[in-house]
Amino acid sequence: MLLKLSLSSMKKMMKDYLVLLVGLVISISIFYMFQTLALNSDFTKGNSVIKSIQIVFNVGAFLLALITIFYIFFANSFLLSLRRKELGMYMVLGAKKGKISQILFLETLTMGIVSLVIGTIVGIALSSGIGVLLMNLLEISADGYYPFYLPSVWMTWGFFMVLFLLTSTINAVRLARATELDLIRAEQQTDDVKAKGFGTVLVAILGVALVAVGYYGLIEIMTLQLLGFLIGAIATTIGTYLLFISLLPVLVQALKRNRKLNDQSLNAFTFAQLRFRVNNLTKILGTVAMLIALGVGAMAGGLAFQKNVDLIANVGHVYDISLHDPVSEDQEALKKMTVLEQNTYSYKVNEDAVYYLKDDLLAHPPLISTNDMQNYDPNKEPERIAEPLPANLYGMNEDKDEKTGQKLEELPDEWYQVISQEFTISYKMYDGKPVRVVDQATFASVKGNEHTVVIAKVDDFLKYKQDIKAMNQRQKEQIKPASEDEEVYLTTKYGTYESVYAFTSGTMFMGFFLGVAFLAMMASCLMFKILSGATRDRDRYSMLRKIGVRKSLLVGSIYKELLFVFLFPALMGLTHVLVGMQMFSFILLEPYVNIWVPTVIFVVIYALYYLITVRLYRGIVLPKEV
Amino acid sequence: MSVAVLEVKDVQKVYGKKGESQSHALKGVSLTIEKGEFVGIMGPSGSGKTTLLNVISTLDRPTGGFIQIAGTNITQMKQNQLADFRSQKLGFIFQDFNLLENLSIYENIALPLSLQGVSSKEIGAKVKKVAQTLGIEEILSKYPVQVSGGQKQRAAAARALVHDPAILLADEPTGALDSKNAKSLLETMTDLNENHQVSIMMVTHDAFSASYCKRILFIQDGNLYTEIHRTGDRQQFFKQILDVLAELGASHDVR
Repeated sequence: MLLKLSLSSMKKMMKDYLVLLVGLVISISIFYMFQTLALNSDFTKGNSVIKSIQIVFNVGAFLLALITIFYIFFANSFLLSLRRKELGMYMVLGAKKGKISQILFLETLTMGIVSLVIGTIVGIALSSGIGVLLMNLLEISADGYYPFYLPSVWMTWGFFMVLFLLTSTINAVRLARATELDLIRAEQQTDDVKAKGFGTVLVAILGVALVAVGYYGLIEIMTLQLLGFLIGAIATTIGTYLLFISLLPVLVQALKRNRKLNDQSLNAFTFAQLRFRVNNLTKILGTVAMLIALGVGAMAGGLAFQKNVDLIANVGHVYDISLHDPVSEDQEALKKMTVLEQNTYSYKVNEDAVYYLKDDLLAHPPLISTNDMQNYDPNKEPERIAEPLPANLYGMNEDKDEKTGQKLEELPDEWYQVISQEFTISYKMYDGKPVRVVDQATFASVKGNEHTVVIAKVDDFLKYKQDIKAMNQRQKEQIKPASEDEEVYLTTKYGTYESVYAFTSGTMFMGFFLGVAFLAMMASCLMFKILSGATRDRDRYSMLRKIGVRKSLLVGSIYKELLFVFLFPALMGLTHVLVGMQMFSFILLEPYVNIWVPTVIFVVIYALYYLITVRLYRGIVLPKEV
Repeated sequence: MSVAVLEVKDVQKVYGKKGESQSHALKGVSLTIEKGEFVGIMGPSGSGKTTLLNVISTLDRPTGGFIQIAGTNITQMKQNQLADFRSQKLGFIFQDFNLLENLSIYENIALPLSLQGVSSKEIGAKVKKVAQTLGIEEILSKYPVQVSGGQKQRAAAARALVHDPAILLADEPTGALDSKNAKSLLETMTDLNENHQVSIMMVTHDAFSASYCKRILFIQDGNLYTEIHRTGDRQQFFKQILDVLAELGASHDVR
């Protein structure tokens, strides 16, 4: 009988349950997606990058689990709050407490299992959709990645079943402890306004200190290594929660203490609402801040890796294209590009060595990169070689003892750099012969085939990526490999780019995957929490309307209040990201490159959720007009 | 010379759309309240007294008729005008206090003034004054949950009066109070009426509360049934009220 009643009332509250269900499904499907990445061993082993950042990944998985636990516990207390009034009424009417607790236990568990089934299905769909889409976008191989992967399913089910059993028990126990009157009066309970005393100040100081320690760990990651990363992750997380528990309520209280501001218009009410929120939402706000940090951070990290592929390629190469004996197709392709600088140099190859013509080089001195990986500085522009070549003959890559009858000078460094990095595109091409730079007379006397090398700098390397790739391919075919099965590796800019890209795309994939996951969780968390408490506020708004507050003023108050609620964790999260990106400084040249992209993505998603939340909240709390 | 603060003429209120089952809550009620009067509205449950209060307090729109408060016709006003009118000309006391529990008593009382853009300094002075009148200066910094029901209702009264409304509308103000607190509140209201010239309209079904009024209008089935004036002392008036109520009850039995 009771079961029947409970079913029918669940049907009535379908809308509330739907909110809960959606929340649970999102968290389960994201957890599952993560697990498919973590446990697909073929995939992780096949992708060297993912293997190399396994520690980052594991910490990410740990954080995701932690946040999921928080989320589930909170979602289930929401379920209890939905049901307590009605269950209390059954108890008043004589239903036994044990029976009621049992019903709630079953309800919570059923809810969990239903969302687990849907969540796994959605998770599989998401993995095959988003996962595969991202992989295509990033041009990394999805070999060994299966959206439906049994160990991941077991992992997800195991993790969530334990959680649901735990929360069901907690719900049942909490219900069993409460008296009938507590339950039916649940909605009448007022917000307690606790004075924040000395303890809060201590907690605030501790929070600031922990965040500072965490930041220190991240900034000094070069020296602290793994320890710095662990300190950063743990101290910052705990510190963030402590700050939201202590500092934020104190700040809002200070805002309220400003009598002039507080007495203005509806501010007293807006601030009071805000104080209620920051006191009640401390945990959720802390969680949201962390999720923002992780989400934006992951995306920023991924993007930074991608952008740094360019930078790494740029450090070694000023010229985007190096062509030996270009064919007509190469020339055609070059014509289509916007070429900033193009130089052609002649050289001859005989059985002893490779000869470049000195006057040729000096007539069009090329640019060289002034940067190196160790001391990278984005402001260092390439410089033109000014080094004169007074001698008649220069040599490089030459055995000193080997006398060729002529006196060879050591080639100056800058010229050495340009010939080895920009001209020489494969160590195979000259069969290991030495390179000499000679005057006109010597060059003319060399018997051998004359070749040319074209180096060109275009306006945007990535714009012509496909054409340059084709050029590279033709060059590869020119340089016949010594043995057929040996892959020719070109040290042109594209060659470098390609190899580093393969290395970093895995990281980028992970970054975006995690970023999307965390942002989705975060957004659903905050919106869900604010809306679930909205019915309590209904009386307040109706009362204000009664004493004659304009609707526009009420709406304005809602916008203001929720803006603050959304703003605090966003600021905190973004600060975390800005500092946290430091931890990539030991692998990346410029960790902050393009940081605005994920920031903008985040701000857009977040602003959208803010507006939707305001919209829905308004619908719940504002009284209907006559 | 008397000035009408409230004029209600042939006000009707019909719930439900045309063609569907309609219920007539008010079937043409007319009444006038002069400045400085203390008028009670009585009637059994379902008589339409709450509907009457709602249309007078601009929370609900009458289907027909005309209502004028302090010289302003409120029946044709737009939503925002109505809101402004409420916040400037009307004071409310409700049965369940309707204080915002997340604001201090001071902030609750200050709210109508804040809404009108009164300066912080002036608000402080006015709140203090009205709190003195109602004897709640001690609890200004407390929150509603920390004070007694009687104090809450005094705070609500202070909020209703702080902006000098044209009329104070009270809906069962003693409904949630014990007899001691109820008596004390009614005495305060009498004091406000007699010594501070506050016009009051109070809706109640409690004869004891009603006996504090100067005049009582009885409503039944959406019509004005009768009206009695207090001529002698309160005890006598109380008995008079009971008689009318008995009459009302008898008319029920007859049908």
